[in-house]
Amino acid sequence: MTTQNNPVNYAEAIQYQLANIVTPVPVYANFNRNFAKQPKFLTWQLRNIHQPVYTGGIQSNKGIDTPTFQISIFAQEMSDAFNLSDDILQSLHGYSGQFGGDDGFFIAKADVFWLYNSYDDELKLHQIFLDCTIYVPA
Amino acid sequence: MALINKVLPGYVATLWMQDAVDPTPLTDAQLSTWTAQVANIIGTEAGGAGTDGMFVPVEAIPAFGADDASAAYSVAGARTGAKITTQNQVTSMTITAAWNSADAALLQIRADGYSGSTIRTYTIAVYDGTDTVAYSFNARVGGLQWDMSPSAEGKFIFTIHPVGGNSYGWSTNT
Repeated sequence: MTTQNNPVNYAEAIQYQLANIVTPVPVYANFNRNFAKQPKFLTWQLRNIHQPVYTGGIQSNKGIDTPTFQISIFAQEMSDAFNLSDDILQSLHGYSGQFGGDDGFFIAKADVFWLYNSYDDELKLHQIFLDCTIYVPA
Repeated sequence: MALINKVLPGYVATLWMQDAVDPTPLTDAQLSTWTAQVANIIGTEAGGAGTDGMFVPVEAIPAFGADDASAAYSVAGARTGAKITTQNQVTSMTITAAWNSADAALLQIRADGYSGSTIRTYTIAVYDGTDTVAYSFNARVGGLQWDMSPSAEGKFIFTIHPVGGNSYGWSTNT
């Protein structure tokens, strides 16, 4: 028997955890309207919330949640972007424990994929993208 | 009993073992006793006390429990045959670990396999961040192999064979 986790709890916990890792660098969900003024910042997007469902008419007959969120790093200096990605890897990859502070929840594992780095010539910002999957008892 | 009332990811499981070079394995009763027995083998990272145990860095915990067995017979004239469930041995666990030649736990397992006679208490801890459920058993190490396939990091593969009798037990923190 499994409970369904509320996505808003994931969103709040991701925001808290990322902000905690890279403080004082600002962290935003989806978009930073002030991108032209800030030399470095993070955005994140949550996707793939899905608990597998099992047979029968009992709604709570489900498995665990393994949501994935994307972390996008932006920085005017390339080295800042790489160092921010290192902060996230060192803190989050393989992490097991409380996620999202006192109001968060326990995760059995966080698995980070460092995807690629890039540069946007119009924004004049270096970018690095990472995916993180968390394994949440439910 | 503080049982974990959740469905858990496989990632919550960790393997621990007594850390003494020449350990005294727990008795059958102690294998089901949390306080001062099983708790001491499990580290604080998994909700234990961690006073005389060490973490074994394995890739994944294989299926554990007891082997399946039954006695089957048929009766002339009866519509079906029949089975009687028999209690088989505690399951052996073939485990793969990423090989680090300086890791204390892997070196101890290598030494136990070389000895062939060391009986040690192993514990699988399942931890949800608050409570722990533990499955403990006494076992010897056999089947040491190193797999240096270039497609991945070097692997250390070994099998833990539980000793006979009732040498396993469940426990949980209270």
